Amino acid sequence: MSRLYVLDITPNILDIMSNQGHETDSAIRPTDPPAVIEAVGLHKSFGDKMAVRDLSFTVGAGRVVGLLGPNGAGKTTTIKMLTTLLPIDGGVARVAGFDVSSNPTAVRTVIGLAGQAAAVDEMLTARENLKLFGRLYKMRKTDLQARISDLVERFRLADFADRPVSTLSGGERRRVDVVAALVADPLALFLDEPTTGLDPRSRNEMWEAIESLAASGTAILLTTQYLEEADRLADEIVMIDEGAVVAEGTPRQLKQQLKRDVLEIHFESDHDLVEALTIVGDIPRMTSTSETREIHIPIDEGAGPALDTLRLLGDSGLTIADFQFRRPTLDDVFLSLTNPNA
Amino acid sequence: MTNTASLAKHRFDPDASISAKARAALLDTATVTWRDMVRTSRRPEMLAFAVIMGVFFLVLFNYVFGGAIGAGTGVDYIAFVVPGVLVITALQGAQQTGTGLAADLSEGVTDRFRSLPMNQGAVIAGRTVADAARNLAGLVLLALVGIAMGFRFSSFGGAVASIALTLAVGFAFSWLSAAIAAKVRNPEMVGMLSMFWLFPLMLASSAFAPPESMPGWLQGFATHQPISVAANAVRDLSLGLDAGRDVLYALAWVIGMLAVFIPLSSRLYRRAA
Repeated sequence: MSRLYVLDITPNILDIMSNQGHETDSAIRPTDPPAVIEAVGLHKSFGDKMAVRDLSFTVGAGRVVGLLGPNGAGKTTTIKMLTTLLPIDGGVARVAGFDVSSNPTAVRTVIGLAGQAAAVDEMLTARENLKLFGRLYKMRKTDLQARISDLVERFRLADFADRPVSTLSGGERRRVDVVAALVADPLALFLDEPTTGLDPRSRNEMWEAIESLAASGTAILLTTQYLEEADRLADEIVMIDEGAVVAEGTPRQLKQQLKRDVLEIHFESDHDLVEALTIVGDIPRMTSTSETREIHIPIDEGAGPALDTLRLLGDSGLTIADFQFRRPTLDDVFLSLTNPNA
Repeated sequence: MTNTASLAKHRFDPDASISAKARAALLDTATVTWRDMVRTSRRPEMLAFAVIMGVFFLVLFNYVFGGAIGAGTGVDYIAFVVPGVLVITALQGAQQTGTGLAADLSEGVTDRFRSLPMNQGAVIAGRTVADAARNLAGLVLLALVGIAMGFRFSSFGGAVASIALTLAVGFAFSWLSAAIAAKVRNPEMVGMLSMFWLFPLMLASSAFAPPESMPGWLQGFATHQPISVAANAVRDLSLGLDAGRDVLYALAWVIGMLAVFIPLSSRLYRRAA
């Protein structure tokens, strides 16, 4: 445990940080940080269901990679494989140079994990949890005490650090969970949906915490269902669906690919929806949902054509319950990426 | 790559000796024991429940059935039943090892343990040690209640030896209980299954009544099953009788059970991913 447990931003890392902002799009940077998490062609099946297929990505020191996808896309399975919790069926994974399959014990010394279910002891206090996990990492007593005080202060746990975790709010509990992953100052941090279920304020605090961790040199792999979260935190996004990569790149690259506003039209009756679909005919990448009786029309070249469509439908005597223009959501991204007509 | 590998080097020693690994496993066990003891201290009702159950048995058997059963025991019934109830109480404490471990396995904290560079067997070992500590507290309290009801240990040494042997039996059953939990994992199911070993061992035993009074087909089981053997040995120790043979027999059960259930429960725990 010779690595210092203080925020240690070396000039070198600052250089890397300034080069990896969202403005830089080139895939190869002049000073690529050393790879900490490497996944090459990962595969995982449960029975005959392929949960993860041919998944490859790299997370460098001080970088945040967002693994983005809907429920069941394979995000958690990927995290579990990389953190030694699930055997890898195919491909190679390395963390800090250690092979995950052949040397799980070594990998466990350099990783921190905050899974979806709060992985702390509910009957212990936050401080006791940190002590428990620090001792299991075989940290020296004095190092551990200093580390716990540092973490409690840095992540503002002091107000509730001495209450049993079961009495804390959802946001506080999540924070304790993430901080528990940091006890031994991991080189690689795995966060599985760290903000799911948090209120906006707790979410913001979590985001700031993650940013400060990346700034101190930790490689972070983050899964999320929220495009906004990936946009704010991730240097690179790997978007997966049904276990396979559907898109990857910097947030800016992805947004350019997806920069389409959508016109949503909502009808009173199923009959009107069917009528409307015949009236508007074939619009590229248009989608419809019969459950909510909506059609979604992408707006590529200005609002004109969409407005024409709206006018056409209004004049045809169908009852439009309401309509709105909206920014693309993750759903739109997936629909556009998985729709063969796109 | 070389950079991170050198950063990580001090954290992992691939050439750690066997003794270093054993020391690490002991440290992990001590840490988990501490954790489970903190949990026990937050739930004093678990300990209280164990003691109240023991007192309940003492009162029930001594005052309600004692008159009827006592005639066949050849000694004062209180002297017969207190050692039996001590062993039964340790057995019930062992049952809680399983329900507690199953609860752990169904919670997220187990995922954390699995992702830590620790000896995974320590999760069970720590719990069995912590439960033994809780059992010790319960047994001492219960022995005091027995004394208040007229029971007498023949000597202080006899009292210590009685409680030590009872603890060892409880510890062995903790591992059996842990093996079931590691296999089944569902706390309710573990609780239900425990009835299948707890009640036959408890009631078809020499804890409350001499097996000689039981029908022939039951006598063989009731005489040689571990709880009877343990109850006989603890009775000998506490009353200052010639204890050698019964104690050896009881220790053989303890060692045999540990030899089976320590490796079995650890293997089942690792498999239950």
